[in-house]
Amino acid sequence: MLLEQIINGITLGSIYAIIALGFTLVFGVLGIINMAHGEIFMVGAFVGVTATGILGWPLWLAFIAAIVVTSILGYLLERFTLRPLRGKKGVSHLAPLISTIGVSILLENLSHHIFGAGNKPFNTSFSQISITIGSITIYLVQIVIFIISILLMIGLTIWLSKTKAGKALRATADNLETASILGVDTKKIIILTVVVASAIGGIAGILVGMAFNSVSPQMGLSMGLKGLAIIILGGMGNVKGAMVGGLILGLSETMLVAYGDSGYRDAIAFIMIIVILLLRPQGIFGSKVSQERR
Amino acid sequence: MRGLNKKLFSILSIIMLLLLAACGGGNTTTDSNSNKSEDGVISAKFGVIAYLTGAGAAYGEAITNGLKLAQKDINALGEVNIELVIEDSAGKADQALNAAQKIMSDDSITAIIGPTLSTEFFAVAPEVDLNGIPIMGTSTTVDGIPEIGDYVFRNAVPESLAIPAAIKKAVERTGAKKVAMIYGNDDALTKGGFDVMERTAKEMGLEITTIETYQEGQSDYNAQLTKIKNTNPDLILASALYNEGAVIMDQARKMGINIPFVGGNGFNSPQAIAIAGDAANGLIVATPYFGDSTDPKITKFNEDYEAEFGKKPDQFAAQAYDALFIYADALKRAGSADKEAFKEALAATKDLEGILGKFSFDEVGDVIMDVTVLEIKDGKFIEFE
Amino acid sequence: MLGEILNTYYLQIGSFILINIMLAISVYVPLSSGQLSLGSAGFMGVGAYTSALLTIHFDLPIVIGIIAGALAASALGVIVGIPSLRLSGVYLAIATLGLGEVIRVIFVNWDSLTRGSVGLTGIPQLGREILEFARGVGFEPAMIGIKNNQFVFLSIFLVLLVLVIVILWFVVRQQNSRVGRALSSINLDEKAAESMGINITYYKVISFTQGAFFAGLAGALFAHVIGYISPADFSYHRAVEVLIFTVFGGSEVIIGSVFGAFFLTLMPEVLRFVSEFRYIIYGILLVVLMAVRPQGILDANLLKKIKFKRSKGGIR
Repeated sequence: MLLEQIINGITLGSIYAIIALGFTLVFGVLGIINMAHGEIFMVGAFVGVTATGILGWPLWLAFIAAIVVTSILGYLLERFTLRPLRGKKGVSHLAPLISTIGVSILLENLSHHIFGAGNKPFNTSFSQISITIGSITIYLVQIVIFIISILLMIGLTIWLSKTKAGKALRATADNLETASILGVDTKKIIILTVVVASAIGGIAGILVGMAFNSVSPQMGLSMGLKGLAIIILGGMGNVKGAMVGGLILGLSETMLVAYGDSGYRDAIAFIMIIVILLLRPQGIFGSKVSQERR
Repeated sequence: MRGLNKKLFSILSIIMLLLLAACGGGNTTTDSNSNKSEDGVISAKFGVIAYLTGAGAAYGEAITNGLKLAQKDINALGEVNIELVIEDSAGKADQALNAAQKIMSDDSITAIIGPTLSTEFFAVAPEVDLNGIPIMGTSTTVDGIPEIGDYVFRNAVPESLAIPAAIKKAVERTGAKKVAMIYGNDDALTKGGFDVMERTAKEMGLEITTIETYQEGQSDYNAQLTKIKNTNPDLILASALYNEGAVIMDQARKMGINIPFVGGNGFNSPQAIAIAGDAANGLIVATPYFGDSTDPKITKFNEDYEAEFGKKPDQFAAQAYDALFIYADALKRAGSADKEAFKEALAATKDLEGILGKFSFDEVGDVIMDVTVLEIKDGKFIEFE
Repeated sequence: MLGEILNTYYLQIGSFILINIMLAISVYVPLSSGQLSLGSAGFMGVGAYTSALLTIHFDLPIVIGIIAGALAASALGVIVGIPSLRLSGVYLAIATLGLGEVIRVIFVNWDSLTRGSVGLTGIPQLGREILEFARGVGFEPAMIGIKNNQFVFLSIFLVLLVLVIVILWFVVRQQNSRVGRALSSINLDEKAAESMGINITYYKVISFTQGAFFAGLAGALFAHVIGYISPADFSYHRAVEVLIFTVFGGSEVIIGSVFGAFFLTLMPEVLRFVSEFRYIIYGILLVVLMAVRPQGILDANLLKKIKFKRSKGGIR
């Protein structure tokens, strides 16, 4: 039973980690908590359901569709809710928080109108494939999710540290004005960040749909709150931290259910962040410097 | 900047004026139609409070659709004429209370149907009861609803009637001795259903192997199910709404848990099959409404509903449909739209033939009727034997 | 005469507006020292459950229940406030949001005390208790020409109105005092304030605790107005809603909180005729508002202009 629960925990944790990556990227560059990220993730899941279930598209096409749609959403989010606030006088740090909350309310209720309130099944033959070893059944989807999360983490790390765009992105994250003086097109970099983060959210959406066979307009909220907790746990703006934080949360939630009281499952994320904030406010992997920058 | 501020300010004042105008508008009501018209038709106005926006909007929609269909059918019969005033509660207790106050501020309202959720009902009913207006829940299944007051009724089959019937039949056939339980602990309906399940299981001397919970919006139930699987139960008692319940069954079947599930009121919906597909086979529920029944009353209702609203009705729509017929019958016997006479007539409702079968109120205003135990087999609800 | 004017529906909405104003102030006060607290739903829940449980199980008078509720919330505010001082900005926001969620989960799981998600029924209602009291001293609502239920809601409305006025008076007084100047200097520049000899710890805890107190008070009153509470009343949605009251109306001036709570409580009622779309409208409204006027509808500039206009008119 322990082994099975560890597999459950790693699957859940990998999904948390992918969602947290989107949060952490936007926060790292813009210093903004994107409260609409959970809903973008939800839209990604619905695109997957529509593409595979209603339109009958193959899975790879559904993936591309989800990435395209969430990227466009990311662009719109940047263009209409974040950009108007940037560089404006008298804008408090609250404004982007509120405005992304506005987007999340809008997206959740739009999906209600378009898709209805209930759960939608996500049926693909791919999610039926499983391997049985002894008494343990592992689904291929679970392995895929884990691999994708690792690939995304490694990919992002390499992209940020090795490529030109990644370096420009880090420069922008460090200091927006200096970067733009040095010839970085910060506007482009910011759009790129939000779009990439949203696309990652879309991927997470489709993976959740496949793994758990349930997609509903409300799924964005609880995942979004968990993602928020994870980036605090792992350190704001830290890619490795998001990954480790996600796995820790997924595993501890699963273990709480397995050996404790499942009623407190939703609280554990927040108990953990309250403790970590009091002991080590910069998060597990955060550096002191990033704390100063807040 | 100064110009902008000025503009904003004037826009603001216009908005405020509009708000005031809108407020004033709601006040004008006529109470001319609350009495017998010349041709002997009794007219009455009923308020409806339903959950029409938000996460549970599907329930409110089914209920109002059922009521609208019933209104059409009743008015066509020509004995009584019913007008419905529908307000949204958004699933929140405070907004439901606002809606109730809005409805009650119109003196010509005879009685109220709704709100949808038990949590809304608990906030609304005491207030309505104090004002001497009859109120009936069509979907509020938690214990203690009709006990709120003399004017409070329900035609929703309470969990304490449905669940024991389902568990008893399931245990009789499968000979189950060990049961595992799973329920949504942050929802009043599923929590109320769980309380009944636990009580019933203890009374029947069943061994409860484990009790697991889940929370709203959760999509991963693997951890709970793995734990349940390892306790080797013969039967799973799942107090869940069909939305979550269907997903739980799907994940359970994938994990190799192939034992039957017993569900509560909220689990009974054709949607459970639509979501879970073959995985829904083996679900046992007790319900007054059997959608695939060959009873001509029900087939006619199904056809009419589908023609009107373009989708299949569920239990919530059927109960709402019957609820308005119960009201219409009481109105006929009361002979006028007077609240007091209506309440007396309503309380005396006995053996009324609805689409769900014979219906009566007991002394507190709770349901007396027979329930049918159903199971899902080969992707269809059939009667459980 | 009076009986025809008093519509219980309007009085009810008026009461909810007043409670929401208190909640908005509970966000505004910590914010005036630069602390963004999203814990108002949690503190509100603590106040509501404390008062409800005390009045149900120990038959205490409502007044004592409400005071105990507000004090319980502020005690929690102190306990949470001191360690949270190390956090600022979004960190504090998320930590307090987390606190609210943890409190809600405890309400859901502490079945024996809170009856879980089914909630607490039969909480004594404020207006009815006042009516009983009034009858006890020989007063009947009919004497001033109103019905019993009109009296019930009128009395609730008046009690809340008086409380809100007292709170507003207190907060405005405080703002113009040494405490208020200390708070706003912390808001502007924490380090500078500290170097000027202001005890940051003390003032920050004070403003955080005041926020908790107002939220607890509002929660306790909410319980006794509505007569029924369940954990769902104190969820994430409530916290966000309250934050939006303050930010929408204008987070720099106290009148902004009042206006935000007033406008946004009334809006869903007025928009009942488009109820299907009201949350979509709500979402768009927030985005547009932040883009056009990120400091909220009302700010110090606008207020000055309104005052200026008025005085000019007076001279003419």
